[in-house]
Amino acid sequence: METIKKYLETMFANLPRTPEVIKAKDELWQMMEDKYNELIAEGRSENEAVGIVISEFGNLDELAETLGLEQAVEESHELMELEPRRQLCMDEVRDFLHAQMARGSMMGIGVLFCITCSIWVILLSDTILEMIGVLLMLIQIALAVGMFVFAANRHAKWSYIYKEPCSIDFATAEYVASEKERYSLGLKGQRTIGILLCATCWLPAALFDSIGLTKLNIMDNIVAVMLLLMVGVGVFFIVNSAIVRASFEKILKINNEKTMGSQFVDAQKVLYENPRLNNLMSVYWPTITCIYLSWSFLTFNWGSSWLIWPIAGIAHSVIKKNLGCTKQA
Amino acid sequence: MVEISSDVIRGYNDTMILYILQKAPSYGYEISKQIKQLSDGKYIIKETTLYSAFTRMEKNGYIESFTAAPEADGGGKRRTYYRITASGQQYYKEKCEEWNLTKEVVEHFISVEA
Repeated sequence: METIKKYLETMFANLPRTPEVIKAKDELWQMMEDKYNELIAEGRSENEAVGIVISEFGNLDELAETLGLEQAVEESHELMELEPRRQLCMDEVRDFLHAQMARGSMMGIGVLFCITCSIWVILLSDTILEMIGVLLMLIQIALAVGMFVFAANRHAKWSYIYKEPCSIDFATAEYVASEKERYSLGLKGQRTIGILLCATCWLPAALFDSIGLTKLNIMDNIVAVMLLLMVGVGVFFIVNSAIVRASFEKILKINNEKTMGSQFVDAQKVLYENPRLNNLMSVYWPTITCIYLSWSFLTFNWGSSWLIWPIAGIAHSVIKKNLGCTKQA
Repeated sequence: MVEISSDVIRGYNDTMILYILQKAPSYGYEISKQIKQLSDGKYIIKETTLYSAFTRMEKNGYIESFTAAPEADGGGKRRTYYRITASGQQYYKEKCEEWNLTKEVVEHFISVEA
């Protein structure tokens, strides 16, 4: 049954995504499924049944005539000749995703090292080891730069995925979509922890201050180190999850978005009827973040400024409900 | 072994489908199964051919589609059913007459016995 499904998906992959084509695919699937089930019920082996169903399927050129798709089919043939899409195989895509995960952690650690490089100087200041602190800082920066260069070098190998038109078959798209699903919770968790760490990096300072520990000079330094570590680890999680997420998206969007092969692209993406509102909404969350950060830093009113998030969340869903229209899958 | 040339049979796919729908509304696989049975397994209609015929005839108003679950295995999965319209009946009659004429004409030129 899987084989038949894949066969049908592959046949349709280069056809335009129109209601007629989607309906035709569903109907043909219905017939093939019925025929397959009956053959199995008659006692045929799975292989035999699949063979019969596929051999009696016919060809799409015939369908094209009646669906008014001659032009589309011809165009897709032409497109294949004019601008051949490089077909990525499943192993290649798997390697790419693994490489992106490695790159994510490497870039994340690089940024972490950059942010936290000064902790040595802070910790060892006013001691005889001050020079060693500076040395350690320089070593850490060098390591971070090394990681960036290494990651960029390894990444260059995959540049064709970004520059050349590529395509993937149905089985690969399905694999990537399931991998994305599998990692999705972890990635969301990482991002949330990252944002939380950054947003609460001032907590140790406030805590130490409230119990009067900051009178000691050494505590000031420790507070600064904790702040840097929290921001560093937070940014690591944000960078890592963003890179991995982007790699999944990249592969899933690789097929021409007007064809049936692109079915895994965000079906839930909300579009607003008014194009200006559409542009406005695309910067909604970054704007809220800016307002939150500037308000908080200007007034140091962290205790109540977080209220902007629930308010913004409610406002967002109200706007989406009233003015948005979900893009047809 | 002789096989039916798809060019020749093409003009009569509609006739076969309408003949079956004339008796009762039916759906894709059921129709293709009946065509196979009525022709003693000598003609197997391709899925794409069948679907093309459905869309073409629906556009011309010869048949109508509706969704329903098969009565036999109650609560079975929902399928697209097709039923013949009045103009479909008319078209079917014309196709039958056309075939009788075609057969009569071609028959005069067939000398090798099967």
